[in-house]
Amino acid sequence: MDGSPPKLLTDDIDLNGITRTFAVAAKQVYALNDVSLHCEAGSFTALIGPSGCGKSTLLRIIAGLERPDAGTALIGGQTPAQKCRTGALGVAFQDSALLPWRTVRQNIALPLQILKRFTPQGHDKIDRLIELVGLEGFENARPAQLSGGMRQRVAIARTLVTDPSVLLMDEPFGALDQILRRSMNIELQRIWMEKRATTLLVTHGIDEALFLADRVVVMHRDPGRIAQIVAIPFARPRLPELFSSPQFHQLEDEIAAHFYGAATA
Amino acid sequence: MKPGRLVKRLKPLLRILILLALWEFLGDLHLIAQGALPSPSAIVMQWWQDRAVYPPHIWATLEPALIGFVIGDAIAAAAAFAFVLLPTFEGLMRGFNIAVFGIPPIALAPVLVITLPGDWPQIVLAAVSVYFPTMVMTLLGLRDIDPRPIDVICSYGGGEVAVLRWLRLRSCLPGFLSGLRVAAPAAILGAILAEFGSGARWGLGSFLLGSLGRGNPARIWGIGLSATLMAAFAYGLCALLGRRFSASMTAVTIASGTIETKTAKRGAARLLQVSLAIAALGMPFLIWWAILKGFGVSPVIAKTPLGVWNYLINAPDAAESRGAILQALKESLPLAGVGLIIALSVALVLAVMGMIWRNLTALLMPAALILQTMPLVALTPMIVLLFGRGIAATLVVTVIVTFFPAFITIAQGLATVPRASLDLLDVYGASRLQKLRMVSLPMSLPYLCAAARLVAPASLLGVMIAEWLATGYGLGNLLNTARGELDYGMIWAVAFVAVAVSVGFYQLVKVIEEGVLRRFGSASATS
Repeated sequence: MDGSPPKLLTDDIDLNGITRTFAVAAKQVYALNDVSLHCEAGSFTALIGPSGCGKSTLLRIIAGLERPDAGTALIGGQTPAQKCRTGALGVAFQDSALLPWRTVRQNIALPLQILKRFTPQGHDKIDRLIELVGLEGFENARPAQLSGGMRQRVAIARTLVTDPSVLLMDEPFGALDQILRRSMNIELQRIWMEKRATTLLVTHGIDEALFLADRVVVMHRDPGRIAQIVAIPFARPRLPELFSSPQFHQLEDEIAAHFYGAATA
Repeated sequence: MKPGRLVKRLKPLLRILILLALWEFLGDLHLIAQGALPSPSAIVMQWWQDRAVYPPHIWATLEPALIGFVIGDAIAAAAAFAFVLLPTFEGLMRGFNIAVFGIPPIALAPVLVITLPGDWPQIVLAAVSVYFPTMVMTLLGLRDIDPRPIDVICSYGGGEVAVLRWLRLRSCLPGFLSGLRVAAPAAILGAILAEFGSGARWGLGSFLLGSLGRGNPARIWGIGLSATLMAAFAYGLCALLGRRFSASMTAVTIASGTIETKTAKRGAARLLQVSLAIAALGMPFLIWWAILKGFGVSPVIAKTPLGVWNYLINAPDAAESRGAILQALKESLPLAGVGLIIALSVALVLAVMGMIWRNLTALLMPAALILQTMPLVALTPMIVLLFGRGIAATLVVTVIVTFFPAFITIAQGLATVPRASLDLLDVYGASRLQKLRMVSLPMSLPYLCAAARLVAPASLLGVMIAEWLATGYGLGNLLNTARGELDYGMIWAVAFVAVAVSVGFYQLVKVIEEGVLRRFGSASATS
């Protein structure tokens, strides 16, 4: 690492009265109904809820990939469409969405190329990111030659390459096994503590949400809405031992009660 | 090298040797059609005798074919990109595209020969022959992209241009290259067909026409084989390029499909759509008229749309001309339809069998290639000897002309099925047949439909070639007679009618395709 740390630019996320409907077989379904949420700059928020509660749709709205039918989404006071052109957003999807014909290095460079910000110094930065996600030696491999976990790490490195002020992650480790997922959680915490970007993580895993987030937002479905917000008090850096501590289990049960309350309602 | 591998490598060679030996036997004993099938040794010996005249003939065909290939493909690629960025432009050029596609090269050849100087008829016909396959396959590659990376690009504020640059440009390469693969033999065929009736001294087409009446089958076969080798070489070069680029193309994971819902347009949007359709219909006529005016060709020789209208409606003997054309249509159209259906069925069955037994593809490809270029002109006399001067001969020629592009397109569709979905079926121990039925065939349905559209007009070309060279019926014969009598009005009128019929054929197949795809899409959405 060189002497100057990356500039810590963070933005808050402000959601106000977001409503989104879909027409399914001539019926209107409320994927999101009047959802309001504020994420402080530099905070880490986890969104959990059953399938169909609209958590992924909410994330796509913040990323500017979909528009709400009503309500506003602002990132640092700007619309997602304005913000994403500055490279302030880093989005990791369920699927790594890598381009099969590009090498690891070239895939990570893609956002810089789209933003027309690719410079010779970019190479050093990409090398540092490859080191950060632990893929040294695979710089010139293509996606087909990598395992699922490695592909997902490439995707994470790609989201970080623009020094985003906001990180949006849609079940980025959903396809990984439990052990790999744990180690990716620990790595994500390390990366996040270094970058301190405002982060929104959509996940199915309560333990993952608890381990990483400042607060956990539990959503319910039909219509998609926020049911409960639970603050997570654990100090950072959180260590793997935390997963087996009694306080952790207690909070896990509390969130599970909200979660399953939704599933049986 | 292990002995087992050596045997495996020698196997195809052995197969070819057996086929050659069989051919030699049949040819030497004059067993097929009273010696119309000469033996390989006789062909090679004749070829050796003619060795001095081949280079100028080959060069006279190859040079314009190459120039036309480059020009046609450049225009095709540029057009595909313009269509992706400006869908309205595509709508406007729709009529033009289909007309270019529908032109049977053999109908255009006499028109070009009487209007253009020097090598230009050959160059233009080669370019016209390659434009459509390259454009369509490039467009398919540009459109048929993995939707997931689009999200990545959009989340950095990238618009249509960024998606084009970072995603579509590279994604379309396999499509573009397989378009080139189909186009390469077509360019050579186009250049050869333009030599028909041109009176040119050099060129394989002229050589062939000059040899037809000489009763020397060995020479005709030698010319045909030379044309085939040229086409095979061009095809192989493009195939090699394609393999180089499609290896790293298949997505590792599978994207979930999205069903696009078409919203009915109302009011102003509907009006715009209708006026666009009318403009698209007029566009080919406008371009036809503009080219003739632009080059200042004498109106006696070059008929504008109005000239053809006058010839068919206002001229004193208009009714007679119309009657002759109608009679020719009655003879040609049913054959084209039946030929199309046979060719598509054969192509599908062979592509599917190639999926199940890999060896078959290796065996079939060279045979399919030989069928593609050589027989058109060289095999027609032979086919006539075998099948008579009637319906059977015309159908065989038609199937041969249409089979190859259909086979390539269907095989490509079967090959681009994502790995993950085939792996899924492997998990349950699915047989090759099950994988084919459950995954490969449904997923390649768009390619199957594209194949049907791609070869529909070619079936008319096949019929017309057989009629021109052999049977003496129908549109092809009418064109050949008109050319002989310097009846310029009739040449243009038949060319126009042939294109119009081709376009009608194409539209009919398109309507059927839309129905099939809609049913398939809705079926998968509700189940």
